[in-house]
Amino acid sequence: MRCRRAQRWMVAAVDGELAPRRRRMLEDHVGSCPVCRRDLAGTGEVLERVAGLATQCEVPSRLEQATLRRVQLLAAAEEERSAARGWWAGLRAPALALATAAVAIVAVALTRGAGDRQPITSRALDQHRVAAQAPAREKPRMIASSERRAPKAAENLPVEPPPELAAAPDLFIELPILRNMEKLEHFEAIGTTTLDDGGEQSNG
Amino acid sequence: MKRLGIVVLLACALGGAARAQQPPGRPWQELSPEEQRRAWENYQRYQQLPEHKQRSLGERYQRFQALPPQERQRLRQNYETYRGFDPGQRQEFGQKYRRWKSGQR
Repeated sequence: MRCRRAQRWMVAAVDGELAPRRRRMLEDHVGSCPVCRRDLAGTGEVLERVAGLATQCEVPSRLEQATLRRVQLLAAAEEERSAARGWWAGLRAPALALATAAVAIVAVALTRGAGDRQPITSRALDQHRVAAQAPAREKPRMIASSERRAPKAAENLPVEPPPELAAAPDLFIELPILRNMEKLEHFEAIGTTTLDDGGEQSNG
Repeated sequence: MKRLGIVVLLACALGGAARAQQPPGRPWQELSPEEQRRAWENYQRYQQLPEHKQRSLGERYQRFQALPPQERQRLRQNYETYRGFDPGQRQEFGQKYRRWKSGQR
């Protein structure tokens, strides 16, 4: 038996999945080949360590909070959309949010290693579930809407406005009026204009 | 009495010159946080407009600033009314506006 073949069979042998005949052949080879003997021992050790790894791991608390927040926002946004579509369509929202939460948790648990850690407790999972299942129509929406508006100003507002803005801030406050200036100047006249075909129109 | 008149005239002239050097409208620091937020958001929209539209808005702003205060207030009130329109009313107003505009030519 050649070393190459022996090495191909090692993992299966360690897992106990090698056919008895092959196993005997491998054992014969390993008995006479010190290199393969060392490899087999190493393979066994590696597989043992892999098997001993935790299937659940801890995630940094900040990451967990951020994930929770995102799930809540998603749930609230989905809730708003489904409310706009109709009450029956809203039944799909919790499922989607729950699936998003589950994917996020699994991704976090699989990818995170060291750091400021806090275990994923059942309480945290409950929070995900509550946020996702949201008949909690009120709270998440409030979070979502307040966070969608207020931080927009607080986070994005520059400390120092660009020169153009600083030079004439009122221009930008009044921008919607300026864009519709003609309509607004002749608002009353336009309002009294008739739409009948060939009808009279008031030019005020 | 004549001296007093001269002093008043000078003060008016100096005050006018000082005002002319100031940028139109209020400085940024005097805006409320809500106004700053609105100005910043509108500024970002403005930045995305093509140059000729920006220029046109600048000209409109000059015109708007030159309007008497009550006329500016009237435009603001009209804008608030317009904002309060529901989609149907807006559509109707848009049609009326086009009709009115075509009658202006």
